[in-house]
Amino acid sequence: MKLLLQLTNVSAGYGDEPVLKDINFSVHEQDYIGIIGPNGGGKTTLIKILLGLLKPLSGQVTRYEEARGSFAGYLPQQSQIDTRFPITVRDIVLSGLMSAKGKFRSYNGDDRLMAEMMLEKMGISHLANRTARELSGGQLQRVFISRALISSPKILILDEPGTYVDNRFESDLYKLLEELNHKMAILMVTHDVGTISYYVKTIACVNTYLHYHQSNIITEEQLEAYNCPLQIITHGDVPHTVLQKHEHTHDHSHD
Amino acid sequence: MFRIQCCKSTNIHTITAMIDFFSGIIEYEFLRNAIFAALLASISCGIIGSYIVARRMVFISGGITHASFGGIGLGYFLGINPLIGAIIFSVLSALGIRTFSKRSEIREDSAIGILWSLGMAVGIIFIFLTPGYAPNLMTYLFGSILTVTNFDLYLMIGLAVFTGLFFFIFYRLILFISFDEEYARSHNAPVETINYLLLALIALAIVIHIRVAGIILVISYLTIPQSAANLMANDLRKIIFLSIFLSFAGSVLGLIASYYLNIPSGATIIFVFILIFAIVRISKTVSAYLKKKKIGKSAFRFTSYKRTPQTGSGPKS
Repeated sequence: MKLLLQLTNVSAGYGDEPVLKDINFSVHEQDYIGIIGPNGGGKTTLIKILLGLLKPLSGQVTRYEEARGSFAGYLPQQSQIDTRFPITVRDIVLSGLMSAKGKFRSYNGDDRLMAEMMLEKMGISHLANRTARELSGGQLQRVFISRALISSPKILILDEPGTYVDNRFESDLYKLLEELNHKMAILMVTHDVGTISYYVKTIACVNTYLHYHQSNIITEEQLEAYNCPLQIITHGDVPHTVLQKHEHTHDHSHD
Repeated sequence: MFRIQCCKSTNIHTITAMIDFFSGIIEYEFLRNAIFAALLASISCGIIGSYIVARRMVFISGGITHASFGGIGLGYFLGINPLIGAIIFSVLSALGIRTFSKRSEIREDSAIGILWSLGMAVGIIFIFLTPGYAPNLMTYLFGSILTVTNFDLYLMIGLAVFTGLFFFIFYRLILFISFDEEYARSHNAPVETINYLLLALIALAIVIHIRVAGIILVISYLTIPQSAANLMANDLRKIIFLSIFLSFAGSVLGLIASYYLNIPSGATIIFVFILIFAIVRISKTVSAYLKKKKIGKSAFRFTSYKRTPQTGSGPKS
């Protein structure tokens, strides 16, 4: 399988003390990697490195086969976005073409058609002219997924995709991801270890160091050996750290 | 404008004053200039103000405005055009606020507060040190659209053309960066360049329009019509065009009112802006109420006659 992205001895952080140390990690075509780890362990920093938002303090990030502008699609956490900004859903999806379009080229009918198609696929084409603030969390999540997918990226990175969605959409989402996985590598940050072990192919534990686990089944002992304790702080949900065989539980009781 | 006014009030004096005003436009250059200045200010401020309101940058704009007073004071002290001093101070303070809050532990609103008062203090000291009386000081504080000079108008034309072109060419880029900076960065968009350019543009717009609305009131041109437009439209492009229109309409109405009532033009224009905002806000509430009532009625009809489970699925807002 073709190599898409490689981190070699990467250390990264914001001040003098690195949040991530000695990371050796690679992403291949059709990978489906779950990224887990305690809060403050460096999951977000890792994503920033992968997306090129943060320069590593040391080490090397190599991107292979960089298709122009559509290398990685990214689904951010909604809490980071001003959802009262006056922008239509269609424009949000079009913004996924930003790098393919460059600074000067304008968006034409083809682009708009593509945006409509993405929305259609996510079942929200009727919302194209609405603004972000008129949507529910789940609808907005679909919009952001459309934005991430419109450029047909090689890698799709999702940061806590299950946070704002209802149960039904969550299972739809994982079905969609499984389908997309034939065309692109997927990296998913999540605290929902039950889900992660059910859908992903491999697991990366991030806690300052990164331990790559070549399987989707991970035991508590292994997690401990990786120094990757899971402090699962969910809203009212019973944390389940036991990740035995394909035990699929996604009975989140949060709104 | 004329029609609206005379329909509102049948008072014969009003009509006479209106005719006075319009014949005044033909007759007096200063009135023509004032109308032209109002149009130019509405274009520049309509565009830049929509950006300011959408990005929640009203406070930083207030800071830049007041920091520029330091430059005005320096201009008086050195005997150069105070506008030039103000441009330097406002652009530097705009870039300074961003850089400070990014590179150090001073948070942005604190940085704004510090530069805001520093600029005012510097201005007061320099004006105090300047021998003699500062003749146009009140113009800079409160503005006067009726005394704009040709030089001011040239500056305003330049700014309006540049701002219009800049937003026309880079509209999507500006929109996407403003909505989600991090996503734009992950797509290698020139986020910092665009942000700093727009910040400089905000500073320039503020200083150039200080002549029209004054330090104390210039923020109104950048926020009130835009906030009203924000209530009527939900897309940045529409908000821009609407606020240009509301801003020009408000300026002309304000000018007429100030002419008729013989009160200061700047303050009157702002009062009209607020009035427009209030009318938009209230009519929105009323129309939402009427819609709700209508939907409620139709839902009732459905259930009572047709017995279908359907209910009105009108918009929530």
